[in-house]
Amino acid sequence: MNRHSFLQSPRRKNLFLSSYSTNINYLRHPLVIAWWSAAFPGFGHLILGKFMNGFTLAIWEVVINYNAKINEAMIYSFTGRFEMAKEALDTRWMLLYISVYIYAIWDSYRLTVDLNKAAVLGEREQYGENINFRLGPFSLNYLDKHPPWLVLVWSLLMPGLGHLYLNRLSTGLYLLIASIVYIYYSHLLEGLHLTLLGHIREGAAVLDPEWVLFYPSVFCFSFYDAYVLTVESNKAFKTEQARYLKRTYQSSLLRLGNAGNNG
Amino acid sequence: MNGMAMHIVSSFEHSTALELAISDLEEGGIEREQIIAVPLDRMGGQDRIFDTIHQSDGISLLDGAAVLGTVCSVLGATYGFVLPLGPILCGLIGLAGGMLAGFLLDLLVNRKKLKHRRKPAVRTEVVLIIRCHPSRAEHITQTLVRHGALGVGWLN
Repeated sequence: MNRHSFLQSPRRKNLFLSSYSTNINYLRHPLVIAWWSAAFPGFGHLILGKFMNGFTLAIWEVVINYNAKINEAMIYSFTGRFEMAKEALDTRWMLLYISVYIYAIWDSYRLTVDLNKAAVLGEREQYGENINFRLGPFSLNYLDKHPPWLVLVWSLLMPGLGHLYLNRLSTGLYLLIASIVYIYYSHLLEGLHLTLLGHIREGAAVLDPEWVLFYPSVFCFSFYDAYVLTVESNKAFKTEQARYLKRTYQSSLLRLGNAGNNG
Repeated sequence: MNGMAMHIVSSFEHSTALELAISDLEEGGIEREQIIAVPLDRMGGQDRIFDTIHQSDGISLLDGAAVLGTVCSVLGATYGFVLPLGPILCGLIGLAGGMLAGFLLDLLVNRKKLKHRRKPAVRTEVVLIIRCHPSRAEHITQTLVRHGALGVGWLN
């Protein structure tokens, strides 16, 4: 009995379910995670479910990048206006950027390699926890199958909605707030409005280049992460149910051969 | 009963409905010992680690789209400041073009694997076997079908 209960608490879990959030560890490609950290420091960690580190890095990125004017300098450099790039950069902030940027990429790569090992071992644990439904004072959460395309569409309509649908409150709330902030300060919608009406020059002039460059990464990250998360949470649902069925409905004396001859 | 026992074999997808079906049977007097559920978790003979560490099913076709979409959108918005179409249109064109290119690239790279992996829309994930007296077989079958059994067969 002791041994049994010892075995029933898994050493490595791939699934955590609370009333307001789901966290899943699954196999990921380290280079893809490193890529997201390069696109926007912190995003690699958000995919990995390491939210505190992810938010720390994502907030760091905005504060330092904005003050040092990295994005603005990027635009000037890529378009060959090097003098303007030098002009734009604030040397009081700029050197704070480099080491943390590289750390974010390196750390998310390293973490992915470690977490992949844990994911394989966790999947082989014989006894996972019994979790399918969590009811709390402020929310509720459960595992089920969801159509990935639906989550994809909601994320494309507004970053964060796909995550809210999946009950990943942390990333969902962040994406929603971050999108609104970037869209507002970049004047993206005004630019879109003017451009669509044919006033392309005015549309370009109204944009704030420093803020505009934050948005493409946020937009693509939101639909990518939401889609992958749906696929993985569907898998987690199946895994949990399979474990439950095995534990509950395989211990019986029923064997096909017994049907006629044990009476 | 033993001499008269029969088996009802059915197939399901993993779903909450499956648990409802089993629960209904138990409420209706079927003992837990009369039920066996076999999740088919060794499907397709895939090499689990190496196949999934690089791409797990549906994901791989979005990797390229998201990566190239971001790159081209950032570059489009950047060069848009000096191009005639402006940053908004260039950014959007970059996003669409990059996503399409990434998707096609992934499709091309994974063409062979996808052919291998093509799955039917609905597939059996759990086999449920119930031992019961023949007089109850019809009722049990109806319960299973009502909760989304993909197929039910009798063994008697």
